[in-house]
Amino acid sequence: MNLLQDLDADLAALAAKTQASLVEIHNGRRGHGAGTIWHAEGLIVTNAHVVDRGSVGVVLPDGRDLPARVLARDDECDLAALKIDATGLPAIELGDSRALRAGQWVMAMGHPWGVVGAATAGVVIGTGSAFPEGPGREAIAVSLHLRPGHSGGPLIDAEGRLVGINVMMQGPDVGLAIPVHVAKNFLRQSLSTS
Amino acid sequence: MPGVLADFSNALAETVAALDKSTVRVEGRERLPATGIVWSADGAILTAHHVVEQDENIGVGLPDGQTASARLVGRDPTTDLALLQLSSAPAGTLAAARWASPDALRVGNVVLALGRPGHTVMATFGIISALGKPWRTPAGGQVDRYLQTDIVMYPGFSGGPLVSATGEVIGLNSSALLRGASVAIPGPTIKQVIESLQTHGRVRRGYLGIGAQPVRLPANLAQQLGQETGLLLVSVEPESPAEQGGLMLGDTIVSIAGQKVRGLDELMGTLGGEQVGQPTAVAIVRAGALAERMVTIGEHK
Repeated sequence: MNLLQDLDADLAALAAKTQASLVEIHNGRRGHGAGTIWHAEGLIVTNAHVVDRGSVGVVLPDGRDLPARVLARDDECDLAALKIDATGLPAIELGDSRALRAGQWVMAMGHPWGVVGAATAGVVIGTGSAFPEGPGREAIAVSLHLRPGHSGGPLIDAEGRLVGINVMMQGPDVGLAIPVHVAKNFLRQSLSTS
Repeated sequence: MPGVLADFSNALAETVAALDKSTVRVEGRERLPATGIVWSADGAILTAHHVVEQDENIGVGLPDGQTASARLVGRDPTTDLALLQLSSAPAGTLAAARWASPDALRVGNVVLALGRPGHTVMATFGIISALGKPWRTPAGGQVDRYLQTDIVMYPGFSGGPLVSATGEVIGLNSSALLRGASVAIPGPTIKQVIESLQTHGRVRRGYLGIGAQPVRLPANLAQQLGQETGLLLVSVEPESPAEQGGLMLGDTIVSIAGQKVRGLDELMGTLGGEQVGQPTAVAIVRAGALAERMVTIGEHK
């Protein structure tokens, strides 16, 4: 195999591995978002704007459609924690978003326009909260296109570790994700007090 | 599962980090800052013309977090290039970027675009989409080759380096060169423009003082000259090099210094800075017959 074929094989393996920790999230019949399996005992992390109103359901990669309870949400940082009644789920491996470097490879997964389990790849443009025309809060800017349905899905590094939660676009060509350390803080604070 | 993808990812990030001391922030306009490339460690900074709206007190954000003051050495709006000079460059803070010839580049090669609109270096990644012939920018600048990529120009990346897989700089990115395409000015053109800016403070362009439009030549002349069209003079400015050289309204220019002139592009191509002050043979069609006048090319101000 040549180098490109090796790359290809790595990409496909990463996508397949990550798909196992990627769920669909729906509000009754309306909307369609993504979520990431954080813990094997049914803890799912997604965007707050994905679980806006009404009852929330989670579709697992094996097709099971389970009702979910919203454990916590934070509209400011656009995160929500859901609980479903399931065990032994393939939780995603957590990475270190503080160690991200400009130029490193990342992949976003979700259900853009309802296409389930889709992958799109790019590089880290920059991280932090101070970059020009950024959202003003801590974010990862990535050179890939996030579409409706990507929200709440995982952003992973070259070794398949979760580094961010997909959230939105900044302009036509720049995707934004919430760093995983922000999500960790959100879970620690909201789940210890609730 | 570290594999070739992880190696690839590391190589990208290391390439970006290695150019940290060669990539600076340029604060030369009201709205957001842009990027500059360190041309020499003594503080010569290359950037895009359109991001520098003032000539003095230009702020340059250094890799160590400090901001230094720079002045404009010169600018060339036609290629969207500008050269700045720091009043003082603290030793060790800057490293001149290494430049590579674009001759070995191929469509499909990977490239990185770097910028420092904020405090840290940021990057986007893509491939070379098109490599082509010499071209002329809409502003009239002559560029040694067409170099287009599919990189995303993040806000403030103008003036920053386009970097090859070897970590060498192959061009300067500007979002103002062509709308809707990521086009870079390649190293050879940059080198030429910088030499001119350092010597003259500007890029010299030849000047004739005419208004002209392409017209079809009579069949017998077209066959004799081997060209279908020439440039009909629709105006000749008083006291201009053209008038002083004896060109008249209604003449049709067919060549300058032996180079065919079939349209405005080719006219501009014959009026490079090296022609300024040179008596130059201009072949024309006047009253249906070929003629020649010697014109001393002026300088475009």
